[in-house]
Amino acid sequence: MAKPASNEQVLQGTLDLLILKTLSLAPMHGWGLTQRIEQLSRDALQVGQGSIYPALVRLEQRGWIDTEWRVTENSRRAKYYRLTAAGRRAFGNEIASWQRFVSAVKLVLAAEG
Amino acid sequence: MLSHIRAALTRIGEVFRSRAHAAREQEEEFRFHVEMETGENIRRGMSRPEARRAALIRFGGQQRFHEETQEARGVVLVDNLARDLRFALRRIRRAPGFAAGVIATLGVGIGVAVGIGTIVYGVLLRDLPYPKSDQLVRVGFHTDGIPGQGELHSPPTFYHLAMSGSSFIELGSYSDDDNAFSITDGDAPEHVSIARVTPNVLTLLGVRPLLGQLFEPRDTLQSSGGGSRAVLISEALWRRRYGADPAIIGRRVAINHGDRIIIGVLPRTFDFPSASTSVWYPQSTPLFGRPSIIGRYISVIGRLRDGIDISTAEARLNALVPSLAARFPSITPEILKQSAARVSVASLKSVTVAPVRPELVLLGILVAVVLLIATTNVVNLFLLRTERASQEIAIALSLGAPRVAIARRFVVEGIVLGLASSIIALPAAALAVSTKFGFSEREIPRLHEVTFTGGTVALLIACAAVIGAGVGLVALTRTAGTGLFDRIRASHATPSRAWRRAQNGLVALQVAIALALLVAAGLLGKSFWNLRNVDLGFDPANTMAAHVSLPWGYGTYEQTTAFHETVMDRLAALPGVTDVAVVMHPPLTPGNEGQVDADDDGRPSVTTMSNTASPNYFRVMRIPLLEGRSFQPGDERGIPGVVVSERLAMSVFGTIHAVGRTLREPSREGSRERLFAVVGVVGDVHGGRIEDGYTPMMYLPLLRGGGPLPEEGAGDEPRDVQYVIRGRPLPAASTLQRIVREVDPRVPATDIRTLGSIVDDATVRVRLTMLLIGVAAAAALLLGVIGVYSVVSYAAAGRVREFGIRLALGAAPRRVGGLVLVDALRLVAVGSAAGLVMALSATRFLRSLLYEVTPTSLTEFALATAVLVMATLSAAVLPARRAARTDPAQMLRED
Repeated sequence: MAKPASNEQVLQGTLDLLILKTLSLAPMHGWGLTQRIEQLSRDALQVGQGSIYPALVRLEQRGWIDTEWRVTENSRRAKYYRLTAAGRRAFGNEIASWQRFVSAVKLVLAAEG
Repeated sequence: MLSHIRAALTRIGEVFRSRAHAAREQEEEFRFHVEMETGENIRRGMSRPEARRAALIRFGGQQRFHEETQEARGVVLVDNLARDLRFALRRIRRAPGFAAGVIATLGVGIGVAVGIGTIVYGVLLRDLPYPKSDQLVRVGFHTDGIPGQGELHSPPTFYHLAMSGSSFIELGSYSDDDNAFSITDGDAPEHVSIARVTPNVLTLLGVRPLLGQLFEPRDTLQSSGGGSRAVLISEALWRRRYGADPAIIGRRVAINHGDRIIIGVLPRTFDFPSASTSVWYPQSTPLFGRPSIIGRYISVIGRLRDGIDISTAEARLNALVPSLAARFPSITPEILKQSAARVSVASLKSVTVAPVRPELVLLGILVAVVLLIATTNVVNLFLLRTERASQEIAIALSLGAPRVAIARRFVVEGIVLGLASSIIALPAAALAVSTKFGFSEREIPRLHEVTFTGGTVALLIACAAVIGAGVGLVALTRTAGTGLFDRIRASHATPSRAWRRAQNGLVALQVAIALALLVAAGLLGKSFWNLRNVDLGFDPANTMAAHVSLPWGYGTYEQTTAFHETVMDRLAALPGVTDVAVVMHPPLTPGNEGQVDADDDGRPSVTTMSNTASPNYFRVMRIPLLEGRSFQPGDERGIPGVVVSERLAMSVFGTIHAVGRTLREPSREGSRERLFAVVGVVGDVHGGRIEDGYTPMMYLPLLRGGGPLPEEGAGDEPRDVQYVIRGRPLPAASTLQRIVREVDPRVPATDIRTLGSIVDDATVRVRLTMLLIGVAAAAALLLGVIGVYSVVSYAAAGRVREFGIRLALGAAPRRVGGLVLVDALRLVAVGSAAGLVMALSATRFLRSLLYEVTPTSLTEFALATAVLVMATLSAAVLPARRAARTDPAQMLRED
């Protein structure tokens, strides 16, 4: 993968946001997360599937998520992720910052229209 | 925090790359992920290995999956392509106006480009339809010291060169100037175009007969009976006249009442010497002709030996020229030297298309320009749209979507739009190729070879897809350099500089092209106006002409004049017809060239056209009689009386008072000297193209008493003439044909047209080129105006805050509007300057089409620039007014 530019690095936060949001609905394994994000964004947001794991590790290191090996419905061993209490607080903050971002984008669009 | 994340990423990156640091757990997690994705892919219908490869690839570009990636790429591409297509279609549906604009612009641009490109390629570039056609050459014999002889050979001199030369596999000769032939048996006589060819012309071109056989060498031997009676006919004639009769071989046919036998049918694809040739005669063996430097009448083609190039062949033939003097007593070294005799060798293809090359090259450039403008506008549309979509892209990028995936989406969208445009482009191209823009075989050689094929369709679609993809890529490069933060920061400022520069550049280019085309259109328009307002020297209104050629049965002047007089009387009796005359070459058609001088002084001869006309010809054509009289009975006896044009009188006698003087046609290589008595002087007319100016003309009387007609090719045979009729209303063509047929059922009247249409034909080149360039110029101007408008109004929208503040600080609204106009002015000024440079360097190529206007005519340049500046600046008026009306209070509220 291409090396991310610095501006986009901050925006990696939006991937974090999507992960936090999805995990807030239910604990999930990595593959399930990628499927869910793609499905919710109607294919518009194509996530390189492997790139979700660095984000998960990052979130785990911050203490926002927890991991646990569980058995799936198909009796397979898989690593599940779920939100911690700190993660829920951080999720609230992330949503607020996202709203700021969206209104900034709206301003851009309004200026053009 | 940034450094924090970067550190974390680096650590994880190491985990990713190094197996030593990779936790067992993580490997298992990855494996699980891939297996789940594989299962999902199998449910979508992939085979197990495919599904696994696809899953590995979607997981990410890790080194150890690399080899399998290569194999699986096809499968994944299909999967991704479907996804990208869905995405592209969704985007297109969201902006139907944008899509329609792109599809229409590209459709017209590509359609016209491929259509014209097909024609230009088919005529100029494609190989001639003969095997190994690059070896085929035309061999010319030039005597630059004697004007008016072209590059024709005389048979013996050709034969001498052909026998001595070693560069050629074959050299053959032909002549195709016989247009006075008709098939005279059956119910309806039919005018046919014949060519005489030596047998090896057919074999060296590699033609195979559709039926029967080709000529044999013995067919060329002359006998007392007048040579072989064998002829070949064209497939077209065979189908049209003989209903594709399979038993045609051996059939007898009367051509000009000579008895001929059809020995073969040549296929439709064979179009030598011209596509209209329908009967081939064997050309008699060259040994029997008169060796001559003037009076040459055969053309020569040949096939080069392997490994011999054109310049070698030419040098070898030229080395042989002096030996002509040794071989033929009638050719002296002095004559060779005086006439500057030399031989030229040129590729048959280049010779065939030489007359139209400048126009077609121009057409090709025009096509490129139209396509460039269309593409430029589409790129502009895309850029505008990309600017709006760039936030979306930045988000996708930030979510870790591979750049390649995003690039692919742009390219796929471009391709989809490009392909959609071929829905318009295909019919447009097909129309262009099938109508050929109204050009005919007569104006452009090889035109009949141009067809709309599957290859053209494939080329068009490929072209549309590539242009679409290219446009998508250009739009993408716009997004590649900048990140989202720039854009958020930029929300209150002007759009990024690089983008504006690119867009300004594109619009300036459009303005430049528009100006160059306007100048060209102006120059051609002026030429056309000049041509149409030239004093033609005759009055084409209410006149018509018809071609009548009498068969060989008319052996004497008495017989031919009797025929013409009967027909003229009957035509004159028709209601509405006021006058009928006979002439060999009506105005604007070239006549026979010859040399004359004054008998009584030593001045050198001048070149003149000679023509033959009935006494009332000048009255019918309204050619003014300046001095003396027209012909009267008796003029044909003794020293024939002739009427000369003003220009001829001036150049021979230095005065128009030439009545009573004697003209002399000097003797040349055995032909007798001839004398003529000038009985009248008439006004000048054009003998060929109007552009070439008036032609000196000598008219001989068409009312000779007894005596046989001269030999074929010696000129002055009134067998092959044009009737010119003045009247109101003019008779119908069918009436004219009926009358001629009633006088002699074997004689066809052909080529019936008004003299107005002859005048139209004489200006057709300039008219068509003017039309094409005019249309291109109008399109370029319109696109330029739209371009200026969009760029200026976009830039103005970006500066709305600035305008608001200026107004709030007390600036006059007019000054604010002026700021916008200055923007536009800068754009137009740069574009115009570039356009003038472009026009100055390009209009030179129009020179051959210009008449009495120079390629750098100040008036046309100034006029075109004025039109362009007015039109494009008017495009800025609306945005300027909008800027002036900015409401500062509202602006500040929005902030």
